[in-house]
Amino acid sequence: MEKIINSTNLKALFHKSGDIVQRQLNVAHSGLIIHIFGVDGLMNTMMLDETILQPLTENEELKNIKTEKEVMNYLLEGGAYHAFAIEVTDFDLLIRYILSGMAALVFDQEQKALIFDVRTFDKRSISEPSDEGVMKGAKDSFIEVMRTNTVLIRRRIRSEYLVVEQLNAGKLSKTDIALVYLSNIADMDTVNRIRDSINNLDIDNISTPAFIEEYLTDNKKSIFPQIMYTQRPDRVSANLTDGRVAVVVDGIPFVYILPCQLPMLMQSPEDYANHYIIGSSLRVIRYIAMILTIFLPAFYIAATTFQNQMLPPEIALSIQQAKQDVPFSSASEVLGLLIAFEILIEAGLRLPKTVGTAMSILGGLVVGQSAVEAKIVSPTVVVIVALAGIAGFILPSQDLSSGIRVTRFVMAILAAVAGFFGMTAGLIILITHLCSLDNYGVAYMSPFVDVETSNHKDTLFRFPIKYFTKRSKKIVPENRVKQK
Amino acid sequence: MKKTLFLISNLLIITFLLCGCTNDMSRKEIDEVNLIRVLAIDYDQNEYVLTSLFSPSGGADPESGEASEETTKGFGKTPYEAYEDLKAKAKKAVSLGHTGYFLIGDAAAENGIDICFDFISRDETVKMDALFYITKDSNALDFIEKGIENKQKIHEDLEAIKQKQEEFVTRNDNTLVNLLNEMKQTYSSVLIPYLIPDESSFLTPGYAVFDQMKLRDYLDEETSAGVNFIKNIIRNYPIYLEDQVGLLVSHSNTKLDSKLDNENIVITIKVDYETMIKEVNTPDSIFTGDRIQELTKKQNQFLYEVINLAVNYSKATGLDIFQIARMVEKQNMKEWRNLESNWVEIISDIEYQYKFNSRITKSFILG
Repeated sequence: MEKIINSTNLKALFHKSGDIVQRQLNVAHSGLIIHIFGVDGLMNTMMLDETILQPLTENEELKNIKTEKEVMNYLLEGGAYHAFAIEVTDFDLLIRYILSGMAALVFDQEQKALIFDVRTFDKRSISEPSDEGVMKGAKDSFIEVMRTNTVLIRRRIRSEYLVVEQLNAGKLSKTDIALVYLSNIADMDTVNRIRDSINNLDIDNISTPAFIEEYLTDNKKSIFPQIMYTQRPDRVSANLTDGRVAVVVDGIPFVYILPCQLPMLMQSPEDYANHYIIGSSLRVIRYIAMILTIFLPAFYIAATTFQNQMLPPEIALSIQQAKQDVPFSSASEVLGLLIAFEILIEAGLRLPKTVGTAMSILGGLVVGQSAVEAKIVSPTVVVIVALAGIAGFILPSQDLSSGIRVTRFVMAILAAVAGFFGMTAGLIILITHLCSLDNYGVAYMSPFVDVETSNHKDTLFRFPIKYFTKRSKKIVPENRVKQK
Repeated sequence: MKKTLFLISNLLIITFLLCGCTNDMSRKEIDEVNLIRVLAIDYDQNEYVLTSLFSPSGGADPESGEASEETTKGFGKTPYEAYEDLKAKAKKAVSLGHTGYFLIGDAAAENGIDICFDFISRDETVKMDALFYITKDSNALDFIEKGIENKQKIHEDLEAIKQKQEEFVTRNDNTLVNLLNEMKQTYSSVLIPYLIPDESSFLTPGYAVFDQMKLRDYLDEETSAGVNFIKNIIRNYPIYLEDQVGLLVSHSNTKLDSKLDNENIVITIKVDYETMIKEVNTPDSIFTGDRIQELTKKQNQFLYEVINLAVNYSKATGLDIFQIARMVEKQNMKEWRNLESNWVEIISDIEYQYKFNSRITKSFILG
């Protein structure tokens, strides 16, 4: 089809789509016909009637108009009571505008169209973040509408330097993506790289978060999350002022933040809402929980199968007694229970909430208790796996938690094969892997691996806010001063 | 490709670095191992007898609610041979990894503790802080058997002994690592606490003294206390004065200094300590400046007598029980070369000088 803007081409394109509305309009009964195109349900028809159609049909001045050019000029110069009106000459752009819910007035002779933003659609209201709730702090969270999300960010940073770049990805879905950054702080090389990554997306549809996540991360083979997502606008604004870049995708109720480092994933908004000593204590507990969840099952296997002298005598005897009459090896017990734990989690996700509680009781208490009484597993293993499992849920990032769950299995298998030797080898490989990750030029383990001590003030411990004087040099090469 | 190469080279490095760890890769489930809690070493009729005492892995007897301790014996010409025999006779595999206490019988100690220690120190699983005791005038096996007859929990009683030791001294010097270290000092005597049975428990009145790794003597309680003062490990020590006043040393610091004067060695023992008044059974007031001064002198005299007992023993026997050789060597490295060869004779001629600096501090009278 020849890509000329006229009603015939548009009708031919949309003739099978029942939701595309088209209407002829006789401008002020002058005999001059123009066509209106739009998507039913995405347009606010009342706004269309009042701001565009009413002036076009009832204004007496238009009776003497002879050409389409004059109508266009009239509308662009204030004839339409609408703020957003642009002239389009590109056919593909016109199609995109129409399909995104805007109203198009098509002028056949001029081969042009005027676009009016009269979009409206049903959307979820802003609610409390379901995954990142805090006792003390803001209660709003992002929703599935990109523009609402950028507004939530703009409300928090009223700076002229806040840039919201509009991008588009998905050959068929034409998903709106906003690249948000502070132009006076963010490293423009990073911004350009992220923009290029989005522009180079050669995919039909961005239907799930993984589509964009995998394209934005450098090392796709790693199970550790290299892109941070959050439901909280306050968290995004804090990261923007730290020099990071936010990616807002239409249809996804959270915002991505880049570049991402491991310590970021261990931080919770509560850390900053509480006194710094309390915040630091909670953070230390989180790190301890991370170590526990990775290594506790492996340690148990290694200690009970290979090097029992690592255990204090009383604990060794207690484990011995608990393991009496249990037919399985420690490794089988732990791995079996870890798999059962994962099954319970997966089942809990799929089940309706009302059944979920019953299943938790059934799975956790009845099955666990019965398994111990039937001497299928020893009570110590139940405690170990439960402790490791619960410790994993302390982590603020679900993606990190998932990555660590897989690591826990690998460590347990290595411990089952080679005891502490296997664990040590696994630990070295894990550290090597984490240190080898790089995210938009910033080391994944930064600032732990940074020499600059000023970067360490918000890692394992959260220092008082007054000490956060400089932004990380790795992320922001210039304009590093946050406060004096 | 670079990363893959990096990963492979890393794995190779790890394998080479940790290859030593593979020696201990024998897979054995914890419930398939008998964890020896106490190991007794005896020498009887020209062979060593090792007795392992372990808590049964089955736990407490469901009827009596008590977990009886089980023993297994092994015999051999050397302690290691006896240990292998013990391993062969035990129902399950045995491990020294959880052995907290080693009891060495009187006869085995007379035969030489270095023989007993050798195989223990070569076991990679053994705890370095395991404690050693000598069973005075008795075989360690008899000691254990009597304890079991008396329905004693041997390892719990030994645990109580350890705690009691820690109450009076700042550190236990009878750990494996410390004794191995002491045994390296060629000219010094090794001291190991000895055990005697009480009604239903054990007591450690003092030290067993070793000469050239062989049991020589048992020190009495006061002489052992004197040794502890000189070793500077006293945490608490009671002082009973004749005038019905009881005191407790609450803090003590002993410094030894050596001086060489033409092959004459002068050792200055300087003891700084504080005492608390614990008991006053005299109608006269002791809380006057003169009386406190008088009591201070008396407590210094008391401690002098205690320490002098240990010093006199050392001089009389020619045994370096205070590790003086090590101190002299450190403080007079050049002269030590001349002294080294005659050290056994020199030790009896050492001149000891005493300096006491004490304070009576707290009375703790309520109200």
